[in-house]
Amino acid sequence: MTLQAYLIVSAVLFSLGAVMFVSKRNTIAILMGVELVLNAAALNFVAFAYFTPSQASQLDGQIFAIFIILLAAAEAVVALGIALAAYKAYRHIQADQLVALKG
Amino acid sequence: MNLPELFFYLFAGVTVGFAVVVAFSTNLLHSAFTLFFLLFFMAGFYALLGGDFLAMVQLMVYAGGINVLLIFGTMLTADVAQPERSNLSFQGVLTFFSGVAFTAVLLAVFEHTTWPLLEQPAEVGPTTIDIGKLLLKEYVLPFEVISFLLVAAMVGAIMVVKGGKEQ
Repeated sequence: MTLQAYLIVSAVLFSLGAVMFVSKRNTIAILMGVELVLNAAALNFVAFAYFTPSQASQLDGQIFAIFIILLAAAEAVVALGIALAAYKAYRHIQADQLVALKG
Repeated sequence: MNLPELFFYLFAGVTVGFAVVVAFSTNLLHSAFTLFFLLFFMAGFYALLGGDFLAMVQLMVYAGGINVLLIFGTMLTADVAQPERSNLSFQGVLTFFSGVAFTAVLLAVFEHTTWPLLEQPAEVGPTTIDIGKLLLKEYVLPFEVISFLLVAAMVGAIMVVKGGKEQ
């Protein structure tokens, strides 16, 4: 397969994730959009590491993908903590109604 | 058509189809479970690209950890009375067309760029040993920073959920 094919798949995933986190009402759906975007980025890193590896090491892109997965884990934990705390306080997690911080 | 190519088209079709379901399903639980299988097929891409260790990390951390957490979060916060209306969009048409336009721009960029490709991608053997060496030599500082970040995120999440001052 060519590099372009992988880039097209990750571009579609990225756009769907971006559409999710600008348009969803539910906070957890927004989090799922972020996960899609992170997956698209990791797929790009791995595809570039395979087709155009860096001079230093063939595995640099895969190391980046591992870091992306770990960052996604940290981000999911904190975001779900915030979602649960918001649910305890307001009994819903609709992003368009969580306006307590609005000036 | 050789076998890796066949698998690529299989994974690409399934991944894109599942991503559409995740993005446009109106039941949040359907989105969560579809995302679970999407992450499995992403691991298939990594295996095709010579990342055997990375594919396992994706399966165990992403599908087994993060996505289970997402499903938990969905079930703990979902409106049980109306599950089929739990994942609504606002400005759906507008964002859909912006997304399509953005994808079209990206595809045009990919079409018009020449990448410095290798003539033949190198054969990749098992990568676990080399990844371990890289993580403990060249990337030891990011490795330590990210382990500290994970501890901080865990403690922070507990503080956020439990409130911190009620003892």
